[in-house]
Amino acid sequence: MADADTDRLAARRPLSPHLTIFKPILTMTMSIAHRITGAGLYVGMALLTLFLLGAAVGGGAFSAVSWIASGFIGNLIILLIVWAIFHHLLGGVRHALWDRGLYMDPRGRELLAQGTLVGGILLTLLVLIFKTLAS
Amino acid sequence: MTVATKFKSGRTEPGEAYVSDHSGSPHARFMRLTSYALVPLGALSAWWILGLAGKTLDGVRAEIGRPFPAIVLLIFGVVGMIHARKGMDDIIEDYVHDEALKAQALVANLWASRAIAALWVVAILLLAAPK
Repeated sequence: MADADTDRLAARRPLSPHLTIFKPILTMTMSIAHRITGAGLYVGMALLTLFLLGAAVGGGAFSAVSWIASGFIGNLIILLIVWAIFHHLLGGVRHALWDRGLYMDPRGRELLAQGTLVGGILLTLLVLIFKTLAS
Repeated sequence: MTVATKFKSGRTEPGEAYVSDHSGSPHARFMRLTSYALVPLGALSAWWILGLAGKTLDGVRAEIGRPFPAIVLLIFGVVGMIHARKGMDDIIEDYVHDEALKAQALVANLWASRAIAALWVVAILLLAAPK
């Protein structure tokens, strides 16, 4: 009797993390974004490897893989990879600071979360601008 | 990671439980050490990866066929995929709860990451090889 009650209660208990219950705060969102950009870079590296292999073989192989870095889809893939690198990189810097006990107060961690979000976009735009000017 | 094993504690009866295999600290330390290397490697690589957008075959060769970009991208790919494999292990362990499927996913991840790193190196060596 007691066991059945406990089991029923345990089954109804929500699993952590309560993604549908928590208010979506920025630090949490940036933590999720860190994981998504990390997984995305895994896929991105696979796509880039395919592209570079095609380029290394040349000829028809390059035409077959050029969609990865050319045209609307290709430009979007490359831009997303570059943004994911910078976002994930800054997310790592954030963790390195936290490892040292820095920026752990409410204002500090909020600042780092904002810095990750804005910094990732800003660095991507900077590279895009300098790259366009250089070519 | 955690493994299911026979476990006995003072509070519960002996039985199956998830206990740590004490690989957590080396794992965390490994991710930190590789991430330090990946800061300069990633920033430099992002510059050349963006340079691949919309390029012809000759343009791709000109962008990354030189020694410096080729060497940096090569190291980035290898260190990056080792780091990525460990990170994907975390994701699999967090979300795949079926023990058999989890074991398969971890092996698939190991070989996928090795294949990507190996082919990445081959492709860059071919692109940067003196013609």
